[in-house]
Amino acid sequence: MEKRFPLTPFGKTLWTRDKARSIREQLETELARRAPGDTLVIDMKGIEAFDFSFANEFFGKVLLTLPRAYPHKFVIVEGLNSYTRENLISALESLGLAMIERQKKKLSLIGKVHPTDTITFETIAKAKAAVTAAALSNALSMNVTAVNERLTKLTNLGLLRRERGQSEAGREQYEYAIPA
Amino acid sequence: MTANVTLVFVGRLRENDSIQSLTAISFDVLLSRCDPFTGRDCTLDLREVRFISPAALVQLVASAHAIKKTGASLTLCVEDSSVRTYLVRSGFVSAIKDVATVEPAYDDASLHRFDHLHGSNPLLLEITKIQNGGALPSLLDRIVALLRTRLQYRKHDAYDVATVISEVAQNTFDHNDGTCGFLAVQTYQPRKGSRFIEIGVSDFGDGLRTTLQRNTTLRLPHTDMDLIVYATQLGVSQHQDRTRGTGLHHLLRIAAEHEGSVHIRSGSGKVTYRGDKDQGWRHTVPPMPGVQIAISMKRRST
Repeated sequence: MEKRFPLTPFGKTLWTRDKARSIREQLETELARRAPGDTLVIDMKGIEAFDFSFANEFFGKVLLTLPRAYPHKFVIVEGLNSYTRENLISALESLGLAMIERQKKKLSLIGKVHPTDTITFETIAKAKAAVTAAALSNALSMNVTAVNERLTKLTNLGLLRRERGQSEAGREQYEYAIPA
Repeated sequence: MTANVTLVFVGRLRENDSIQSLTAISFDVLLSRCDPFTGRDCTLDLREVRFISPAALVQLVASAHAIKKTGASLTLCVEDSSVRTYLVRSGFVSAIKDVATVEPAYDDASLHRFDHLHGSNPLLLEITKIQNGGALPSLLDRIVALLRTRLQYRKHDAYDVATVISEVAQNTFDHNDGTCGFLAVQTYQPRKGSRFIEIGVSDFGDGLRTTLQRNTTLRLPHTDMDLIVYATQLGVSQHQDRTRGTGLHHLLRIAAEHEGSVHIRSGSGKVTYRGDKDQGWRHTVPPMPGVQIAISMKRRST
């Protein structure tokens, strides 16, 4: 299930770490209420600017705590304009973090992302269904071990959904999907 | 005047030493001629000064507070009528009330001459005390509005200016307990070239070294000028927190994008960046409590 968290009620400009702290607390309350598998969409529509202190305290801290404090829950950002996107990417890069952005229904990774992670994420997104490491290995022409490493990394960052599935032979296996 | 007075004749030593323009750079010359933070009363002779930049203004205010903290007092001798007017108009005289005096003293009418204009000059943000984050968002929105409506800044450029101010202003209260910082902003339109903005932020608190020493995992360089360069690196902060220590890094990046310059001063060190966030020019300067930052950024053509 998807829930929106619009930021416009807090103003069209979001300055200071203090301001971010109180909004982050509300976001975390919302995250705690969500069920595993749910996605919280941070809606930036109408936000014209924020400073790096805000970005670090709000996005940075949420992304750092998400996989541990809210496992199997996902955060996506949407509604960025060119200026806020540029600054969010700068902020995430300087923190060594990445997150998912949705633009016109298309999901992509922004922030500090290795090109191979982008390719992996985009390949899964194009599949429009959960995929196994073996299937991804074929699609990317890579060995399964390397693909598994990439999938584990992205899953641990809260950027991929991992579900238990069953192979045709009846064996248990993991399937990976983008959290949309 | 008491017996223990340091008299500093800023403009009267030698002709080539005359300080007619008091800026972030000449302020260091001013300090080098005295040691105002030793607990002795101090008089600065600014009678030949004809121009004061926002950075120098807030450095003077912070100095006055720092001197007061030592139990001494600061007297400023200012004669030039335009400078005297500017000191009132910029909020300087209010900012040093109870901590320093200007001689000759202002009469009551002069002191309140610009009260009705407070906040109305688009070229200037009067000296503003920064104590916490509460008032900062509305102040930044006001600066953006002034830049956009009166000075035709592009929206993103105005936001860049506000972002830069926000980052340095937040440092003043993040790093200090029981002290405050001061902010002043002025825009200039030179006869040739682009309009530019100058931002001065100054405090009289702990300074970078004491602040960063709180994080025991850091290995601090020995000299203050090296410490300043170190402090601009990503992740260097008093807090052991991955989301801290990016403010100065982004400040330098944005200033470089606007062909700007940044002077960062703390303790006895100073580093100047001009249009290149990676190339800082290091200087040893007379020691002063706190952190002082002067930023100059060009308005990009529309």
